[in-house]
Amino acid sequence: MSEYDAIVVGAGAGGGVAAAVLTAAGKSVLLLERGRALSFAAVGRDHLRNQRMPVYGHNAGPDIDGNPRTIDASSLPRLVGEALGDKRLLKPHQPGYQNNAACVGSGTRVYAGQAWRFMPQDFRMASEYGVPAGSSLADWPLSYEDLAPYYEKVEWEIGICGDHRGMTHLPAYKKPYPMPALPLPYKSTVHKSGLQRLGWQALRVPRLINSQPYNGRQACINCQHCVGFACPADAKNGSHNTTVPRALSSGNCTLLTEVMVEKLAVSAGGAVTGVTFIDAEQKRRTIRADVIVLSCGAVETARLLLNSATAQEPAGIGNGGDQVGRNLQGHYYPSAVGLFPETMFDGMGPGCSIATCQFNHGNDGIIGGGFLGDEDIVTPITLWKRFYPPDAPRWGSAAKRFMRENYRRINDVTGPVQEIPSPDARVSINPQVRDRYGIPVAHLSGATHPETVRTARFMHQRAREWLRASGAIQVWGMPPPRYLSGGQHQAGTCRMGEDPTTSVVDPFCRVHSQERLFIADGSPHVTNGGFNPVETIMALAWRTAETIVKTW
Amino acid sequence: MTPESAGMNKLFDQAELECLRALLDAIIPADDFPSAWEAGVGDYLQRQLAGDLAKALPDYRAWLAQLTAEARAQYGRGFAQLRLSERTGLLRRIEADEVQTQWAIAPGGFFREIVEACAEGYYSDPGNGGNRDGIAWRMVGFEVTA
Repeated sequence: MSEYDAIVVGAGAGGGVAAAVLTAAGKSVLLLERGRALSFAAVGRDHLRNQRMPVYGHNAGPDIDGNPRTIDASSLPRLVGEALGDKRLLKPHQPGYQNNAACVGSGTRVYAGQAWRFMPQDFRMASEYGVPAGSSLADWPLSYEDLAPYYEKVEWEIGICGDHRGMTHLPAYKKPYPMPALPLPYKSTVHKSGLQRLGWQALRVPRLINSQPYNGRQACINCQHCVGFACPADAKNGSHNTTVPRALSSGNCTLLTEVMVEKLAVSAGGAVTGVTFIDAEQKRRTIRADVIVLSCGAVETARLLLNSATAQEPAGIGNGGDQVGRNLQGHYYPSAVGLFPETMFDGMGPGCSIATCQFNHGNDGIIGGGFLGDEDIVTPITLWKRFYPPDAPRWGSAAKRFMRENYRRINDVTGPVQEIPSPDARVSINPQVRDRYGIPVAHLSGATHPETVRTARFMHQRAREWLRASGAIQVWGMPPPRYLSGGQHQAGTCRMGEDPTTSVVDPFCRVHSQERLFIADGSPHVTNGGFNPVETIMALAWRTAETIVKTW
Repeated sequence: MTPESAGMNKLFDQAELECLRALLDAIIPADDFPSAWEAGVGDYLQRQLAGDLAKALPDYRAWLAQLTAEARAQYGRGFAQLRLSERTGLLRRIEADEVQTQWAIAPGGFFREIVEACAEGYYSDPGNGGNRDGIAWRMVGFEVTA
């Protein structure tokens, strides 16, 4: 007997949309979230423990203790964590863990809401570029045109500000954004001039942020703690203040927080019929539903499927083709940093306001690319740790003077490089290591394809050119080495496709081997675009949930 | 010393605390803005050494002891008794691993860790114990408006 029509696991970008769309269609939904519902005060403003700068901890989960992962030492750019043979044991705030916030809203609780549509070419990367040796580059089984109506829904229903006329790298929008772009901070006007000097496209960065009152909440007040923190004006649009409350107010949704799903429950025939989870009182419970939607993020969704071995699917549910967990990808960031002769910083957040899609595609001899944008506000300690010039003094009066004179004159430009997927970049299970619930943890191994590194080097040079054109008098930074990437933009581990031997879910994100099991997060992304993926995750989740309703 | 740091003195004895203060104030000296210690970095560091960095406390103590020994070997006085210019000169040599005594812990390598921790205390949020009243943010021009 099913207690709910549907269970959605994970209250982040994808899970929130799934819960909202299903409940709006009258379905009863149990929404399970392993984290807590965090208040603004609970997220706090710790500059050493936040999603952007997790030196000693996190502000949006998961808890630092009891949630380890392991990773092959060879997948890390530098050794961190605790040695465990040739593996390393990592806590959630350590580099290499590939953390996504664990709370109601997940990453959308603390993101800065960059809201990008992927480009038409991003859905057909193999056709555009061919498949490099050793890579699993493939086309999506759907096109930009298939997803465009859902992008539009996200823009209007969740709330995105921007200037659609500037999005000249995309087919014409059918509708403008519902809100105009955020105002430009001074430094963005300088970087815009740089782009114009180079003859490169310059566009206003679209954001899941209210630039004017929208959906009953107020407009952005341009504070300095956007990315990595919660919004003091509640002007950032995330799952926690849009889709999840909408689902709850329907009366059809039950939200349980601090519950950890251990495995999928199945019938004697191996069909998924529910989930088994450990609740906030540490009790193990199994609840049945007609439809199950997994929205745990690319690492945890893969982990859950692999931890759900059955007699019929002994390698894990959906894993008959040995595809679950493969092709883990995120984004490479080829930042370049510049020192400017004038004060660039005027304190107006969120910061990243001007970008160019000049180099997402069409780069001679390079596969793909990515957008480049100016940066969100960088806190003083983040500048010290991440963007400090290598030749500047680190201590003594000269270092103090350097910070005083140059904090407001240093700016970086950066952007997400589309990764070329590798089947060896992988999430598997480490049965030797268990989390606080006794569940085997995710093990991470492999690295991105070498072509990603090459594209990132190319983009780094473009970032340097832009800074020079904007007037930087000194430019520094290094393109990233080869390593395993995933992070907050994690994707790819349950890739979408027609063929069950080379993909995990079908073109509507239903797990091939199951009738009623769907995935709504970044896992189905075949490739991850040269863009922040959240709008695509939301749009795809919308399409998936709508399909579930239509085919109920 | 603030009441808070006085309460944490059990991590270090008085001589160690004086050495630590002289060290932090050479890493971020006073000018028209406060020194590291004046801005609360001592409180930050002691809080960290009782928490996130607890495992590093023995190394901190050993490094400070060796810093004192090195100062005595080179100047005939403890580190805390040296003038700022002397401390700066000595630390520059230690940073380059140019030392005269036997160090059981990397002189320059661990110094760089202390510099990093000192910067964390000075430039991160006042809630961490340093950057008292946001003084370092005022210095660099990071104003919090909301």
